[in-house]
Amino acid sequence: MEFERVWTMANWERLLVGDLFNQGVIGGLLMTLLLGTSAIVLSTALGAIVGVMRTSSWRTISAASAVYVQAFRNVPLLILVFWAYFFPTVFGLQLSKFASVLIALTLFTAAYIAEIVSGGIRSVGRGHVEAARALGLSPIEVQLWIVLPQAFFNMLPALAGRYVVAIKNTSLAFLIGLADLTEIGKQIGARLMTAPIEVYLTLLMIYFVVNRGLSMLLRALEDRHRFNRVFMRM
Amino acid sequence: MHLDWTILWGNPGLLILQGLVVTLQLSAWTLLLAFLLGLLIGTVRWLGFRITEPFCWLYVELARNTPPVVQILFWYFSASYVLPAWLFIGMRDVGYEFGAAVVALAIYHGAFVAEVVRAGLNSIPPSQFDAARALGLSFPHSLLRILAPQAARIALPPFVNEATSIVKNTSLAMAIGVTELTYQYKHIDSFQFRGVEALAAVTAIYLMLCLVIAGLGHLLSERLSQHVVRRDTPSALTSE
Repeated sequence: MEFERVWTMANWERLLVGDLFNQGVIGGLLMTLLLGTSAIVLSTALGAIVGVMRTSSWRTISAASAVYVQAFRNVPLLILVFWAYFFPTVFGLQLSKFASVLIALTLFTAAYIAEIVSGGIRSVGRGHVEAARALGLSPIEVQLWIVLPQAFFNMLPALAGRYVVAIKNTSLAFLIGLADLTEIGKQIGARLMTAPIEVYLTLLMIYFVVNRGLSMLLRALEDRHRFNRVFMRM
Repeated sequence: MHLDWTILWGNPGLLILQGLVVTLQLSAWTLLLAFLLGLLIGTVRWLGFRITEPFCWLYVELARNTPPVVQILFWYFSASYVLPAWLFIGMRDVGYEFGAAVVALAIYHGAFVAEVVRAGLNSIPPSQFDAARALGLSFPHSLLRILAPQAARIALPPFVNEATSIVKNTSLAMAIGVTELTYQYKHIDSFQFRGVEALAAVTAIYLMLCLVIAGLGHLLSERLSQHVVRRDTPSALTSE
């Protein structure tokens, strides 16, 4: 094992922030985290909308959301990335690599989150809705103050799983040449040539630390009291 | 842009069909190996041996928390260093991309299957096992004839999710040049400039494959649950 050739300061710098200090180009872990967190935020918003639509009693709306979920869940993310990257060129547009990976990842993850959200909403007992309606809250107030907060708590374990998957999925970006962690690792591996085990073990380790950290962070919220302290102070 | 769908009846169509065959082979091998690996690890973890538990935990956590495509790259590029020279040279002649992709994906999905198996076994009340033992059934017998059929019913829906996940993740094998569907799309795009048509065809094929697997899984799960009163199924363990 010759980790000393891989674990040089220059390589660590490239792996963690890319060529940020030399050329001002973001890359490596920083790019992965940027992509991952943007995708997580956007797909949670989109997934919440589609998930609430799914539980709508209006047939057209719930069917449209079901079609969205099935269409995006049953296609490999890589195919979506290619669509996002090459399809706009048909209309003479060219999205940046970052934007196309972000769009594909958001649409893909949102399909899963929509299922989680609709499941979470269904998990809140009808009695809560009826009681809130009887107390005079409007349907929107019922959703906002009674159903969604409880649903959110029930959804947390599943959401945490999806977020980890979203971070893992950012690694597909290297297939269209975006300088994320995997791409930088691959470049370092190609330059050293004789140390693939060390390079890829290092990559796996970085991903492991990030993902495991994220899931431990989210697991801490699965404690009811802590959850209430963080989110229920309104 | 001019779209010409008739190209799918020519050479590109044949390439896509070849890709489909490779994708199916890749998925089948991965599914088989991941299932066996997951069954083994999941059952061992459920039994709760104190000696094996740290290793099983380490395997499941490492495999689940790292991207499958990096795992594929790892197994592919380290093959020449890990395998003995004679085996590596022998495999190089037949192409070890396929083998590396199967190994990596099986290890990745095996961890998820292990969790599904363990969750399925854990969902059976311990009294079932105790009752079987008290009635004089042997340990393997009570595991196979009493627990496994009940756990299978519960573990089936997440396992089917895992199977569709495997089909989708075989597309990552193009990173090391396995000639499956996504690779053939890239090939058609680069050499014949018919990217949009090929991409649409490939997308439709993946969509159909996954929907067929999900449909079959649904039928099977209905069949296994015939005797059970309807109630909400537990939330699925899913992966990507």
